[in-house]
Amino acid sequence: MLPTGEGSASDHAHDYHSHDDHDHSDHEHAHGTGRFALGPWSLLLPIFVALLLRNRIGWFDGETVRLWSTLFVSVCVQAVPFLVLGVVISGLIAAFVSPDMVERFVPKRPLFAVPSAGLAGMALPGCECGSVPIAGRLVSAGTPPAAALTFLLAAPAINPVVLISTAVAFPGEGRLVLARFLASLVAAMAVGSWWARRNDESLLAQLRHEHEREGSRWSEFVDVAARDLVHAGGYLVLGAMAAATLQLIVPRSALDLVADNELLSVLMFAALAILLSICSEADAFVAAGLPQFSLTSRLVFLVVGPVIDLKLVAMHAGVFGRRFAAIFAPVTLLVAVASAVVIGQVLL
Amino acid sequence: MNRLGRGAIMMCLGVVLGRLLWTGGFGWFVQQRMRWPLILATIMLLFLGGLECFRAINEERDAPETATRAVAPSIGWMLILPLVVLLSVAPTGLGAAAADRVDAYVPTQQNNPFEPLPETGLVEMRVFDFLDRAVWDEDRSLEDRVVRLEGLVVNDPAIPDGFRLTRFSVSCCAADGIPLQVALRNTGAPLENDTWVTADVVWIPPSVPYIESEGEWIIEAEARSLEIAPAGVPNDPYESPY
Repeated sequence: MLPTGEGSASDHAHDYHSHDDHDHSDHEHAHGTGRFALGPWSLLLPIFVALLLRNRIGWFDGETVRLWSTLFVSVCVQAVPFLVLGVVISGLIAAFVSPDMVERFVPKRPLFAVPSAGLAGMALPGCECGSVPIAGRLVSAGTPPAAALTFLLAAPAINPVVLISTAVAFPGEGRLVLARFLASLVAAMAVGSWWARRNDESLLAQLRHEHEREGSRWSEFVDVAARDLVHAGGYLVLGAMAAATLQLIVPRSALDLVADNELLSVLMFAALAILLSICSEADAFVAAGLPQFSLTSRLVFLVVGPVIDLKLVAMHAGVFGRRFAAIFAPVTLLVAVASAVVIGQVLL
Repeated sequence: MNRLGRGAIMMCLGVVLGRLLWTGGFGWFVQQRMRWPLILATIMLLFLGGLECFRAINEERDAPETATRAVAPSIGWMLILPLVVLLSVAPTGLGAAAADRVDAYVPTQQNNPFEPLPETGLVEMRVFDFLDRAVWDEDRSLEDRVVRLEGLVVNDPAIPDGFRLTRFSVSCCAADGIPLQVALRNTGAPLENDTWVTADVVWIPPSVPYIESEGEWIIEAEARSLEIAPAGVPNDPYESPY
């Protein structure tokens, strides 16, 4: 029996998050096109066409197309290990962490939960793609959203791998590493506290629905890991396309125009962090390559990039819902910029 | 997306990644040190994908009425796109087109302490170290030494008798690549953009120290001999900034 619309969504609600965003399209596809139309066999069609076109048509030889493809594929390939690590952890959380356990271990009061979630971010090595599905599962498992969101923002910015690469990119600038750590942690905790105060459960309600385990814990693990992988991965591909396109539209050499004005360069680096969507392990090297700008404005780049950029907005919208992303993205951006500027003024 | 589709897409990803790892082509997109994380991720993808396909086929046999239900959002189909692009456009990494878009690296600070070079003979060096030494080495250790550099050709109308020998420095993936460039003179017959070459070069000291010169610093060298790489794009085309 094929799912035929909203009514049947509840029948298998435990099978995937029934987000408003993609529910419709899913059911329409399944409903309208029959059993195998979107089955695995259709995978073969675009791949077959790609192989056919490979040497036939001149458009694929255009320099810009090739450069775009290199950028697009490299963002995707780079993200795969982190995404897989992320979904393995999210699968383990879904299979082995019950709400009771969360209740026992995660402090109830935001005053304690938010800072400890921020510091817990230090334990996840890697960049930002993996932390999105993990934070989603933490919320489903009953973690207070404020703590899960603090973790989401802190993990990609303050883990040892990122801090070491920052130290390597800026030799002799130990204070910049410290400033990055502090500014990112403060920003993450500020957003977490804001969410705790806001206390609006409705936005994340879709992550909270009761969900019964079907079969063994390991089959639940495989199920959740696979689901989160194609889910977050799909949005990642969207974000990678946007990032590759903007890297071509916004050449980094167009920046020199604003180097003299501190305010403009802070704004520009915030915009750049969002548009370029560079991995948090790599952004320090890009910032180091732009020495004509002040350290504070480059700190903005290092603090904003890991918490909010094009591919992250796409992933947040996918995993947490569009309405959430529409509120979360601007607040996070403002807080991150403010935190970086203040800490940059004090420390650098 | 039903269970079979979900399994199949993970298998496809795993197979294509596995092939990139096998041929070494992954080095065109990410740094070499991503090899092991990628191998582990590929194994995990094939394992999860295989398990999902297996379960889907069992489900189809045991409970055909629920086997085709959607178990993942359709956004997951987007994951085919990188595979399609890889197969159709077959990109081979950063080259002249990328070098023209991004400002070349400028060694505004010394990055590593300078070890003494071997007394005589040819010295192999990263382009990064060559630039670093050219600008910051007070002992001028590069002077009159033949250095072997590897990189690709980026033609520049400002260098009529040569080209910019270019190597990208990549810390994670090609999207963060920064071009390292030496203006190479006296290179003989013109070469096409993106030709990979091994060049034995001698540094041309600047007439005014770089730091005092106005405008763009151009680090120049004269080519003594030039060899075109027979294999095309090497599998480790990027330098690492570490």
